[in-house]
Amino acid sequence: MSPRPRPERRIAFAIRLRLALFALAGLCALGGALHVAGRMPAFGAHPLPYGDEINRRGVPERHVTNMVSAVNFDYRGFDTLGEEFMLLCAVTGVTVLLRGTRGEARSAQPGRVEGRPILPRSEATVLLSRVLAPLILMFGLYVALHAMTTPGGGFQGGVIAATGTLLFFAGDGYRGWRRLIRSGAMDACEGSGASLYALCGFASMALGLPFLENVLPLGTPGDLFSGGLMLVENAGVALAVGGGFVVLFIEFLEETRVEPPEEAPGDAPGHATGDAPDGARS
Amino acid sequence: MSATSSAAHWASLLPWLVAIWLFAIGLYGIVTSRNFVHLIGCLSVVQASTYVLLLAAGYRFGGVAPIYYTHKPGTPAVDPVLQALVLTDVVVGATVSALLLALVLQLHKRRGELDPEKLRPMQQ
Repeated sequence: MSPRPRPERRIAFAIRLRLALFALAGLCALGGALHVAGRMPAFGAHPLPYGDEINRRGVPERHVTNMVSAVNFDYRGFDTLGEEFMLLCAVTGVTVLLRGTRGEARSAQPGRVEGRPILPRSEATVLLSRVLAPLILMFGLYVALHAMTTPGGGFQGGVIAATGTLLFFAGDGYRGWRRLIRSGAMDACEGSGASLYALCGFASMALGLPFLENVLPLGTPGDLFSGGLMLVENAGVALAVGGGFVVLFIEFLEETRVEPPEEAPGDAPGHATGDAPDGARS
Repeated sequence: MSATSSAAHWASLLPWLVAIWLFAIGLYGIVTSRNFVHLIGCLSVVQASTYVLLLAAGYRFGGVAPIYYTHKPGTPAVDPVLQALVLTDVVVGATVSALLLALVLQLHKRRGELDPEKLRPMQQ
């Protein structure tokens, strides 16, 4: 076991010492920060050379009306690929960290939660979440699809749709949620979304053009299906973000399941029998 | 230096001061934190200062959102480059928080402790 816990007195001293150092460093940095802040160009009234250039070129060159999407998926598309893979790495890291110690066995059998008390839900909660969840999923899809025309995009739409699935958890409980949301399918969404984005880049290269060069017809500005290759990239991002966030939710919610009786800490005997009517659900 | 121009000067400083303040209180929370979950929350506050900084740098008085769906192209708009950067920033922040929270969960499982002060490095 741990050798000896640090006495509270020494911890308090360490924190005070650290605070003193923080205050000293803060005072030094504050002077510089205020100096820089005082010499920044006037807020809201300074030239924005890059933004204006994008705003000027975006509609005629790329045929999309959402300039943020034009930056993300075209002018700066390669960066978004990196961001996509950063998301993939983080989700993979969470999965490895959590599922690695928990094991695959339990997620292979969703719905068999031993010793977990099932709390009764009010019918209003169930009804409301069943009505709202599809609406939120549809709204997420709407936001993701309209990336090129109005505010939104794959990132925002994917996150909205992913959080919408959590309402199934609120309404139908863990088992219903896991019956609807398959972990494997969400893993596939995440991976295929990220690879779809990368494949868009390779498609351009296969045609002898630079990586991620827009090769599809651009369409008319303001049309839902304008933007050419950006639409495909956006679909990849929506898949990857939606799938990735659902995978995160699944992994974290799996952690809240009560351990099987033989592994459970002995301080909660009520969980072992599984028929406690309203046991604590940590 | 008239009173109005001095007031305008201070108003012009405000976004940068907010960013500095968010960064500083987030860092203060990290320095004094006694719980890793709280610490990750403080890290998010530090990150929020970068959103304020980027959006303030790209703002323009009277500018519309850089979406030309209803506005005619050529209408003065705020900077889309910085808005795209903030989008990246938000995504990075969310995933980093998730990764850190997963680490904290593992820590709690293995050591039953979330207080950074009570954890010694490489302790078995």
